[in-house]
Amino acid sequence: MNQTLKSIIARFGFLIIIVAFVIFFSAVNPVFLGGDNLMNIVEGSAILLIVALGMTLIVATGGIDLSVGIALDFGAAFAIVAMKEYGFGWYGAALIGISGGAIVGLLNAALIVGLKVSPFLATLGTFFIGSSVQRIFTNGGGPISHRRMPQEFRDLAVGDVFGIPTEVVIAAVLVLAYFIVMERSIIGRRVHALGMQRSAARVAGLKVNKYLILCFVAASMTAAVGGLIASANIRMFTPLSGFSYLLDAIAAVFIGAALHPRGRPNIPGTVIAVLFLGVIANGLNLMGLNFNTKDALSGIILVSALALVVAQQKLRH
Amino acid sequence: MPMPASARPESGASGLSRIIDAAPLVIFLGMLIYIGFNAPNFMSFGTMQLVLNQSVPVVVVCLGLSIVVMAGGDDVVSGGIDLSIPATAVICAGIIAQLVTNTDTPLLLAIALALGAAMFIGIVAGLMVTRLGMTPLLTTLALFVAVVGVTKVVTSSRRINVDDPFIIFLRDGEILGISAGVVITLALVLVFYHFIHRTKWGLNLQAVGGSCEAAEISGLKPGHFLFWAFVIAAFTGFLASFFLLARGSGSSPGTENNLMLEMVLATFLGAAFSPRRVVTLWGAVLGAVLVAALSIGFKTMGVNVFWTGLIKGSLILVVLALAALSSRVKS
Repeated sequence: MNQTLKSIIARFGFLIIIVAFVIFFSAVNPVFLGGDNLMNIVEGSAILLIVALGMTLIVATGGIDLSVGIALDFGAAFAIVAMKEYGFGWYGAALIGISGGAIVGLLNAALIVGLKVSPFLATLGTFFIGSSVQRIFTNGGGPISHRRMPQEFRDLAVGDVFGIPTEVVIAAVLVLAYFIVMERSIIGRRVHALGMQRSAARVAGLKVNKYLILCFVAASMTAAVGGLIASANIRMFTPLSGFSYLLDAIAAVFIGAALHPRGRPNIPGTVIAVLFLGVIANGLNLMGLNFNTKDALSGIILVSALALVVAQQKLRH
Repeated sequence: MPMPASARPESGASGLSRIIDAAPLVIFLGMLIYIGFNAPNFMSFGTMQLVLNQSVPVVVVCLGLSIVVMAGGDDVVSGGIDLSIPATAVICAGIIAQLVTNTDTPLLLAIALALGAAMFIGIVAGLMVTRLGMTPLLTTLALFVAVVGVTKVVTSSRRINVDDPFIIFLRDGEILGISAGVVITLALVLVFYHFIHRTKWGLNLQAVGGSCEAAEISGLKPGHFLFWAFVIAAFTGFLASFFLLARGSGSSPGTENNLMLEMVLATFLGAAFSPRRVVTLWGAVLGAVLVAALSIGFKTMGVNVFWTGLIKGSLILVVLALAALSSRVKS
């Protein structure tokens, strides 16, 4: 009996928790399970999902990126300024925004590969510098709003493709791209290899530095796409707003990794974890709790969920 | 940057590598001297006192982080790190402030409850890391968020003034002409130093962090030391809460983010100052004081506050890169 219970928990523990939360939230508020609200959850998770994809890649290399928020901010800032000050169309602005994110990734790569600073401290430094640059540029952190942005750019956040919100479509395309590269291609194998056994990968002739540079730049550019959507949504650039995605992105990657049979960061796991976080955030919102209570509860749920998936992973072995 | 022990030859340091060794510290001191020449009031007893007072809460949480890093190894992602200490400090400050100011609870009872909360956080962190085998970085980051969330419930996200005589004494009192907070912190540093470097338990803890496998073979239980390191770290968070209350004359929301960044910076900057590039207690203390000195120095020089983060960030990266470079020159 004990053994069967254990094996059930080992295999379906996290799933049971998700289902339990869904049942609980829909019991408290029937609106929760409505089609509109389910789409709300997916839509509300799109930016976090995009940021978490890049983070998955970085964690797979054995590093961490504390500056994804900065890349997101830069994406938003570059795009908004390109449209507002220089009259770029939506397409040009999006490209410039993504290049803005690439700058952050290049700085990280230079520090990590060139100067051999550890990813944690290098990206922490980038975080300091990037935050300061935003303060200088906006004279202390005032938002830059651009009410009359091209409709096409605005549609990145509020438009739809065949009835599916554009941001969800963008996130889905990126998920697919990341899935193919990380889980189904030789590049992905190599990235995992250098994350698991860097010296072995180097001995085997892998160009470790090249892959590290590519990964850090790709992760920052992906986060910048999230920034484009965020800025299109509120039609402004709010300095330092990307920071709020950092912890959730890291948590999602590690929850996802714990769901993997060998504990590796992986794209399907990250997607499930992001949706779980989305369900919790949305459900707590619908419960109409006080803002402070909501923060406390979601924090406690996050810690418990992490403990649970790791315990579940341990039970499997 | 911390390197595995095997990559660090101990003897035969040439003149060149000795110069590069000292470079991180020299850069910092050079910067301070530069500030001293450009801001006339900087090199005064009053400013030094201010610098020390500002750095006191950071110094105390740095003690905790150093011990966790020593016990868990210095790889930031997979080794020992505890980001939850600042959140522990903030929730303890919140509990004490809320109870003493808004409910007339006696100070001692409030302190006891805060200590209980801190111990709970430390035990949870320790169990999650040692029993479940979770990554310390992730565990303590998640705990940080949860604890900050609970703090918001405790204080309703409001600023709470505290005018208890003991807290006022920590802020304004003096022992032998030096501010009480600084003297008490110095005593704390000495106690921790003795504990880590002069007791068997402390030396074993360092052995476990230095090489987990070797320590295990010689009969030490790494989990035991790591667990207690997290509990001690939470305890330093509890101690730091008094200095936070004194520095801010009460508890204010949002203190935790800055404290966390400064704690991490100071501790790992401290590693760059140490000849072997490992996290040490004195390195962390020195790091905390120097970072505070720079911040205040820039302020007295009249540098625009928006630029401070940029200068600080760049400087720190330069120091870390130099430390990494010197490790490579040596090996």
